[in-house]
Amino acid sequence: MLELRNIVKIYNPGTITEMCIFQGFNLTVADGDFLAIVGSNGSGKTSLLNIICGSISVEGGEVLINGENITKMKEFKRYEKIGRVYQNPAMGSCPNLTLLENMSLADNKGKAFGLRKCINKARKDYYREQLSILGLGLEDKLEVKMGALSGGQRQAVALIMSTLTPIDFLILDEHTAALDPKTAEIIMELTDKVIKEKKLTAIMVTHNLRYAVDYGNRLIMMDKGQIVLEKAGAEKEATTVNDVLHIFTEISIECGN
Amino acid sequence: MKRLISVIAIFAIVLTLAAGCGKSKKPPVIGISQYGEHASLDNCREGFVQGLKDAGLVENEDFVIEYQNAGFDDATATQIAQNFSANNVALMCAIATPAATACFAAAEDKDIPVIFTAITDPVQAKLDKGNITGTSDKLPVDAQLELIRKLQPEAKTIGILYTTSEPNSVSAIGEYQEKGPEYGFTIEGLGVTQQSEVTLAADTLIAKGVDCLSNLTDNNVVGVLPSILEKTNEAGIPVYGSEVEQVKIGCVAAAGIDYFELGRQTGKMVAKILRGEATAAEMPYETISEFNYYINSAALAEMGIDVPAEIAEKAIESGNQ
Amino acid sequence: MNNFLDLLVGTVTQGLIYALLSYGVYITYRILDFPDLTVDGSFPLGAAVTAVLLTNGLDPYLTLPVAMLVGAAAGLITGLIHVKLGVRDLLAGIITMTGLFSINLQIAGSNMAIDRATDTIFTAAPTMALFGGMSLIYRKLIVSLILAIVFKLILDIYFNTKSGLLLRAVGDNSVLVTTLAKDKGSVKILGLVIANTLVALSGAVVCHEQRAFSSTMGTGQVVFGLATVIIGTTLFKNLGFVKGTTAVMVGSILYKACIQAAISLGLPANLLKLVTAVLFLVILVIGNRQKSGVNSNA
Repeated sequence: MLELRNIVKIYNPGTITEMCIFQGFNLTVADGDFLAIVGSNGSGKTSLLNIICGSISVEGGEVLINGENITKMKEFKRYEKIGRVYQNPAMGSCPNLTLLENMSLADNKGKAFGLRKCINKARKDYYREQLSILGLGLEDKLEVKMGALSGGQRQAVALIMSTLTPIDFLILDEHTAALDPKTAEIIMELTDKVIKEKKLTAIMVTHNLRYAVDYGNRLIMMDKGQIVLEKAGAEKEATTVNDVLHIFTEISIECGN
Repeated sequence: MKRLISVIAIFAIVLTLAAGCGKSKKPPVIGISQYGEHASLDNCREGFVQGLKDAGLVENEDFVIEYQNAGFDDATATQIAQNFSANNVALMCAIATPAATACFAAAEDKDIPVIFTAITDPVQAKLDKGNITGTSDKLPVDAQLELIRKLQPEAKTIGILYTTSEPNSVSAIGEYQEKGPEYGFTIEGLGVTQQSEVTLAADTLIAKGVDCLSNLTDNNVVGVLPSILEKTNEAGIPVYGSEVEQVKIGCVAAAGIDYFELGRQTGKMVAKILRGEATAAEMPYETISEFNYYINSAALAEMGIDVPAEIAEKAIESGNQ
Repeated sequence: MNNFLDLLVGTVTQGLIYALLSYGVYITYRILDFPDLTVDGSFPLGAAVTAVLLTNGLDPYLTLPVAMLVGAAAGLITGLIHVKLGVRDLLAGIITMTGLFSINLQIAGSNMAIDRATDTIFTAAPTMALFGGMSLIYRKLIVSLILAIVFKLILDIYFNTKSGLLLRAVGDNSVLVTTLAKDKGSVKILGLVIANTLVALSGAVVCHEQRAFSSTMGTGQVVFGLATVIIGTTLFKNLGFVKGTTAVMVGSILYKACIQAAISLGLPANLLKLVTAVLFLVILVIGNRQKSGVNSNA
């Protein structure tokens, strides 16, 4: 379970550009939740993910995972339990390493990177099996450099890589936003499949309201660092894109967008 | 792959040509490796060629000169020396310590004689044993102290700037400190590690109230001599040089060795080796003992220093008239 | 032909000795994407330590590991300044390099020479036992070749270990390394340590070969290293089977051959640097033109 308690986040404190984004923000994500977060630009969605992962520090409040306070824990330490897929497909893998090498990196997540050979031949079949979940034929391209693959393929691999080792949370940071609509559709379906197969707890930030409505068991809409809409369970099942769009437009008009 | 092959082929051709050129020459080749272009070192080289001629040898008949300078880069000096060795030069003439070190290392295999010049301390540089000889440009410290005493009878302290990494400078400063008291001087030595610190250090010495500055043959210090002189002229402190080139730039006077002479002496030694009268291995290195007084009357007048007749008659006027 | 052969042997020897330095620059510049200026200080550091140890009668072979250890410390300092104190990469290297200038002189006293009676790795008994039949320049070639190849192979093997893979990953995409729950700072420090170990080794071998240490011998070595890395990797760009280390070794030899060609053609030394700069620029531009793939790491 993930808990955010009374989070205070101020950008550029003490300067003329000071901006308070969270003033006592609270959120709880239960195990097995698939939470979709929508909201306009600057509403605090990505800040929220960064606070959870420790990419940015907070001025107040606590972050807890399974009751353990991790507010002071370094970013890289937190990723022992967290997998993350970024908006930019290039962020999820090393372009100059082969697919196989990238898989080995992901396979070794959280463990010591010692002087043993980086490629464990015995694990190759496991990598192939994992990649075959994608149905993109990537299991036959193990020796290809990551940079030679398309954005969609790289994002699919990033998804597999981030979930290769056991994790508590999967963070999806607008992970379909940089892809063309068709590829985005495929990646979104794959995401859902992976989350279900591996029984992951996931938090997804997206600009695509339809994905937010169609996937996951919980949905929140954020505005100016606050949750303005929350739907869960059956209530969420009943929610349509138009319902969400209506509220979204209202907020946007208020903001003058 | 094509590109790579063509690159390698070009190098091979160039190297072959270069090697071929070296071979076709009939008279013995003298490879001169000069550490860098620098007035004293250039004088040295010109003197060297003159020395060979003085000994009755004719260029392009009795010897051929192959001149290279390393642009003050140690790695280039190494490659120049290797080039000489590969071309089987009759002997290598090295001007300044790093050039000599490189030549001596490259000459080891074929036991090519190395003749150095413009090295203050061949023993410290480990260039005193083996098929090697040459001339040393040890500063005439006694003469310089005597000169300063005669020109500035009231002076008490001499400031000297030097680079701590240059063994030549370190040994010279030691000698100054040892002999200064004999002439009634206190020596204020101030070490720097690189050229950019020299003018700052000059300020420090001026602020300490030294009566004059005296130079060594320290490349870093001499390199920025004009800006030092600007400061000292303003403060009314005379600067003494260590050789003629520094007096030309604006030092008041120097008891210095003549690098052209030093080179000429070296040339004479080489002539003996070329004639087979001696070998580099058996000849001990020579330290030039004669020095000249150089004066810059304009600079002296500006400082209000009168030159005693005994100096004036021996001195060579080196300032711009 | 004899002349040409001697010239070739001498030039290749220099290229091989300096290839050790180039390996180091390859790791920092190419793999870590870290412009490490420590090199100008750690190269003479290796030589200074070697000069002192040789003069004090230490076994010549043992001077190499000691010099490497000291070089490692230099890399560690740059790494700590950058990672722990948050100083920018370029500045961290400059700080260490500047400090090392003084430290090198503290170690050696001043410029130092080693007399011929002292054995070096090229003249010591074990070398003579193996290659005593050869003349000195061939012995220098063989010993340098062995060193250049041994360390090339060690690096090649290392790059295929888990630790080596992580090193390659941090330069390629440091964000990914963080999400792998690894501290990218520590990986960078490790890379700097390995790189400067090799650079100091190169300085040590130069000291053996020249029998001298000079405080200014490090000047311009970073530029040399960068040039060789770029020459090597650009030439072999389209040959996937050639390892980066091999490319860099060839780059180093070609660079030295270039200088030797310029010397042989009688180009004045003052122009030599300009020619090198132009050559460097041309290769760099060609390299950039051909650069493919996205460099996405932040």
